[in-house]
Amino acid sequence: MAVELSPKMQEFTQEVYPAIIGTNRKDGSVQINPVWFEFQDGSFWINGGTNRGWFKHLQRDPRITLLLIDPKNMFRWAQVQGRMVDWAEDPGGEHINHLSHRYTGRDYQNPRTGRIKIQIQPERIKGSIDGWGR
Amino acid sequence: MAGGADAVATLNPAVRALVGQPILTVVGTKRGDGSLQLNPAWFEFADGYFWLNSNRWRTWPKNVQRDGDITLAFIDASEPFRWASIRGRLADVIPDPNHEFIDGLARRYTGRAFRELRPGEERITLKIEPVSVTGEMI
Repeated sequence: MAVELSPKMQEFTQEVYPAIIGTNRKDGSVQINPVWFEFQDGSFWINGGTNRGWFKHLQRDPRITLLLIDPKNMFRWAQVQGRMVDWAEDPGGEHINHLSHRYTGRDYQNPRTGRIKIQIQPERIKGSIDGWGR
Repeated sequence: MAGGADAVATLNPAVRALVGQPILTVVGTKRGDGSLQLNPAWFEFADGYFWLNSNRWRTWPKNVQRDGDITLAFIDASEPFRWASIRGRLADVIPDPNHEFIDGLARRYTGRAFRELRPGEERITLKIEPVSVTGEMI
């Protein structure tokens, strides 16, 4: 069940830092990767390639957890448990280029082909941004 | 020491340099229902093991004690794509009744002793044996 982000969380997601994602490997262990993200229209959006290990994990088990943490203040963080609800090709790498501008202020420097855009619906939020109990 | 020396050998010099810094580790564990939990935590790498500290109330140390399995990611906030991840196994859980270990960790990160413990809070130190390096972009 999707949840809405609190105003504080919505503000926090506009700050620029990578999301650290956790996915489920087939053997039951957790894989962790840093990725660029944006939060828009109630969903988190990340970008990848179909050959990525973490994307293969999501196709088998769509559960994903994002850890958002302020690189300048380790006590500001949120854990978002969510689910991949959709993914689509990113023709021309439009979305990765958009993310590149958010993070680096310039065009994406690597090849823009074969990219995909992944939509993640938040289901549960924990951490210090909303207060510990939530 | 079973596995100790061999396990250290799996960390190359770049990864060792990374884990020698007072950066946070991201702890990946599984809840009972198979969903994923990620938490930031303080750590120290010494004698071939990763040492973390928590209390008996938190979910992530409970998950580790149930599964014996843990993933640790080390991400340098100033260069986020300079990172490494290891898969580890719980080697020991050591009570920290006088909060000496957590005070030492707190000094490493904040320069001060840890906060006052809450009533009934029992600190524990988790000794993690690195099994393999699973992600690396250093």
